[in-house]
Amino acid sequence: MKMRRLLNLLKYVFLFAMSFVSIFPLLWMAVSATNRSVDVVTGRILPGTYLVENFRNLAAQHRIGLAMWNSFRNAITATIASLVVCSIAGYGFEIYHDKGKDWLMRILLLSMMIPFAAIMIPLFMMVGKLGLLNTTTAFVLPTVSTAFMIFLFRQSARYFPVDIIEAARLEGMSELGIFFRMYVPIMRSTYVTAGIITFMNAWNNYLWPLIIMQSKDSIVMPLLISNLIAGYVTDYGMVMLGVTLSVLPTVIIFLLLQNSFAEGILSSMR
Amino acid sequence: MRKTLALFLVLILVLSLSGLASAVEITVWCWDPLFNIYAMEEAAKIYSRINPDVKINIVETPWDDVQTKLTTAVMAGQLNTLPDILLMQDNALQKNVINYPGVFYDLTDSGIDFSQFADFKVNHTVVDGRNYGVPFDNGTTITALRVDILEQAGYTVEDFTDITWSRFIEIGKDVLAKTGYPLLSAVSESPDHIMLCLQSAGSWMFDENGNVNIANNEVLKETVEIYVELVKSGVLVQVPDWEQYIGTINRGTVAGTINGCWIIGTIVAQEEQAGKWRITNIPRLDRAPNATNYSNQGGSSWMVLAHSPNKDIAVDFLKHTFAGSVELYETILPSSGALATYLPAGDSDVYNEPHPFFGGQAIYADITEYAAKVPKIKYGVYNYEARDAIAMAISQVLAGRDIDSALREAEETVKFLMGP
Amino acid sequence: MGHVLTLRRRQSLIGWLFVVPASVLIFVFYFYPIVRAALLSFQTGVGVNLQYAGLFNYNRLLTDTVLRAAVGNVFIYLIIQVPIMLLLALILASLLNDPNLKFRGFFRTALFLPCATSLVSYAIVFRSLFALDGFVNYLLTTLRIVERPINWIGSPWTARALIIIALTWRWTGYNMVFYLAGLQNIDNSIYEAALIDGASGFTRFTRITIPLLKPIILLTTIMSTNGTLQLFDETMNLTNGGPANATLSISQYIYRLSFEYSPRFGYAAAISFMVFLMVAVLSFIQMRVGDTR
Repeated sequence: MKMRRLLNLLKYVFLFAMSFVSIFPLLWMAVSATNRSVDVVTGRILPGTYLVENFRNLAAQHRIGLAMWNSFRNAITATIASLVVCSIAGYGFEIYHDKGKDWLMRILLLSMMIPFAAIMIPLFMMVGKLGLLNTTTAFVLPTVSTAFMIFLFRQSARYFPVDIIEAARLEGMSELGIFFRMYVPIMRSTYVTAGIITFMNAWNNYLWPLIIMQSKDSIVMPLLISNLIAGYVTDYGMVMLGVTLSVLPTVIIFLLLQNSFAEGILSSMR
Repeated sequence: MRKTLALFLVLILVLSLSGLASAVEITVWCWDPLFNIYAMEEAAKIYSRINPDVKINIVETPWDDVQTKLTTAVMAGQLNTLPDILLMQDNALQKNVINYPGVFYDLTDSGIDFSQFADFKVNHTVVDGRNYGVPFDNGTTITALRVDILEQAGYTVEDFTDITWSRFIEIGKDVLAKTGYPLLSAVSESPDHIMLCLQSAGSWMFDENGNVNIANNEVLKETVEIYVELVKSGVLVQVPDWEQYIGTINRGTVAGTINGCWIIGTIVAQEEQAGKWRITNIPRLDRAPNATNYSNQGGSSWMVLAHSPNKDIAVDFLKHTFAGSVELYETILPSSGALATYLPAGDSDVYNEPHPFFGGQAIYADITEYAAKVPKIKYGVYNYEARDAIAMAISQVLAGRDIDSALREAEETVKFLMGP
Repeated sequence: MGHVLTLRRRQSLIGWLFVVPASVLIFVFYFYPIVRAALLSFQTGVGVNLQYAGLFNYNRLLTDTVLRAAVGNVFIYLIIQVPIMLLLALILASLLNDPNLKFRGFFRTALFLPCATSLVSYAIVFRSLFALDGFVNYLLTTLRIVERPINWIGSPWTARALIIIALTWRWTGYNMVFYLAGLQNIDNSIYEAALIDGASGFTRFTRITIPLLKPIILLTTIMSTNGTLQLFDETMNLTNGGPANATLSISQYIYRLSFEYSPRFGYAAAISFMVFLMVAVLSFIQMRVGDTR
């Protein structure tokens, strides 16, 4: 019994240690957002009183509201589209699996394996010729369907109890109906995970928005932050504030949705 | 009926004419709201007095991104996604003009008087005898020193003026021994120091014909030896990255720094050090035949894109502001420290103002004087390749490798990258 | 008999309908550019001056010493970092899967946070933490683990260690989240039965958790392999490939060849395909080993 208690304690110590190591750099970042640039650079770890001033400078020199909105709009659109398209595909690859589909899945996986820099320019050319530069469509479309998401949904579908489908078919439900009325609600935690990851990737995407952006009204947060470090003299307090703000949406969404992690298939089925 | 029709037609004519005379928009890509963008905004104000129908649209774009977007647009054949004017780092200008023929507008016969700019700057913007850029910010190198620390060791800023590197290292060791402060700091792996020493002696990693000049470059060898000596003696302390470098200055753990004059912006950020700094020119190489006490680090120029439908207006804009308005340079100097290479501006009062942070030294006047003496060199098309190769060589030499073999390997690497 | 075949056929066809939209999008937005990139890899030249030259670029990359260093670096990261990270993520996920654990939400969030931040910001933090007079050295010297402060970025192996630490810090939580989602799909009664049978935590972990999570483990293994071989952000921002190319990654080299140096897109494309080949081979091996139904 004592051994058990000790192990239990160790478990918590381990988890707290890991959590601390994970959060520490981010805490420092948030604290730095309240300090002056000079203090940040000289290594100050205590909070300061410059948060409002940093925010005022940031808002005055850069269009942070616009960037947050653009990032948000792009990310939400990409996430919703991607969840729909990829989950249907992943379900299809697994539930209706046959040799052909298995091979197609392997081929699609190949698409992720080439560095983006290699396909960036042909992609840019294509989007330019379609006249879609600078639009939300251009930002979202190439990212809607990714082999990664499809693969995630396919692997997750392996846990889905197939007999439910058979039962539903016997009751006369259509295939699409089964998908939307049975699969989606039950696989909720997979959707939440996929949604958070897609949102995060879309939010942090840098290179693609950079080259398709044609006017300063399309600016997104990663580009704004990059602007902050580009000068001869950098205001590090401002940079840290910008970065902290940039992290918030993903964190908030994670916090809001994370309870869904706690409900897997079985609880959703009851 | 006819009267109404006539009136209607006149109205349409007037409206369309005013449409013709309506706002032309010039798009500019540049970075840094406190420096380049600020200068552009002021220029826009001045030009709006001359030509009110022109609107300057500044799109904030960091240098790396300007390079990425430019390359992507040209390679994809989508030149219409490029702006009318962009800011170009001088050390990348040759590369971009030569690799992308026809993309940049030839400014030689545009009416801009290039003789009004510091020689060395114009030289960077000339390719095959044609001008492609309007020189802008000044990267003339300075030695900035904490005279309060020097005083403790018994030195003044005059002891650092017009000296050689061997003398600098000698004084540096003495200051280190007496006060514990290194004279300099630098980002490790950065070849910047070597580069500015090379240019100070009129040498570079490429010769005038663009051939690699690394392995047998005696001047380069001397600069590497000096750097190694600086590090080994502790007179120069290396730090991992840019933020740490600034930290050493602002925290006061170094007694000085040698860099482009734009470093002043960083120095003055630490109010507690006001009055304790002075500047002077940089040390010269001992052995190099054409050694001088002047060099350049960084700096950029404005370029016009050839496909731009408004290129003539863009040129006119630049001609009346960056290439013609002393008022512009006077305006931007006080708040941004943006020093020009436009020589007439150097004569103005604003430039001769004593600077309180530097104990009343008229630093801008001094720097403009230095700028006139910077040796002319051509960076070459393969500048970035050479920079990386030299950075690697420095690293190897500091780890114990002999200079000759490290430089030989650097030359091999650059030759490989140059093709075919 | 015939009736059953038709039903299965019908379902298979419907399955294709499910699968087609996503597949078409990938073919349009990925495979078409990939084909164009392949064509580019057979051309050589600087900037826009490109001419067809067959396998010239592929021959060239075999003699590129810088590329060789980059490939070596990336494989070092792959072999050392990925297994550590995935194992850690698995352990954390199974610890966090316990409904009786207190502060679950806090741990989950804390461990996830690192992957949500943009690299730009945490690069500044990491570099200052690992500076000569930074916090990590302070801890190491105070706890007497080392005699003198380590110059992390200054020497090859410590710089690589720094990259490995940064990668693990950033991506463990990311993989943990996938494992957590996967674990939610496993019936708790299996664990309870095992507990009754007297299985220890370790046995439950190795005999139940890992085998049942195989599909998700395969996913993360392939993704991590792909991510490591295409590594860019960390080496670019933390060490800039140094010292002396000791941490340089392949993607970083490709970026330099495309956007910093005089652009050689043909050569860069050829290197990209080399990466493609490496990831594809490794992934197919992993699929072969781990893709069970």
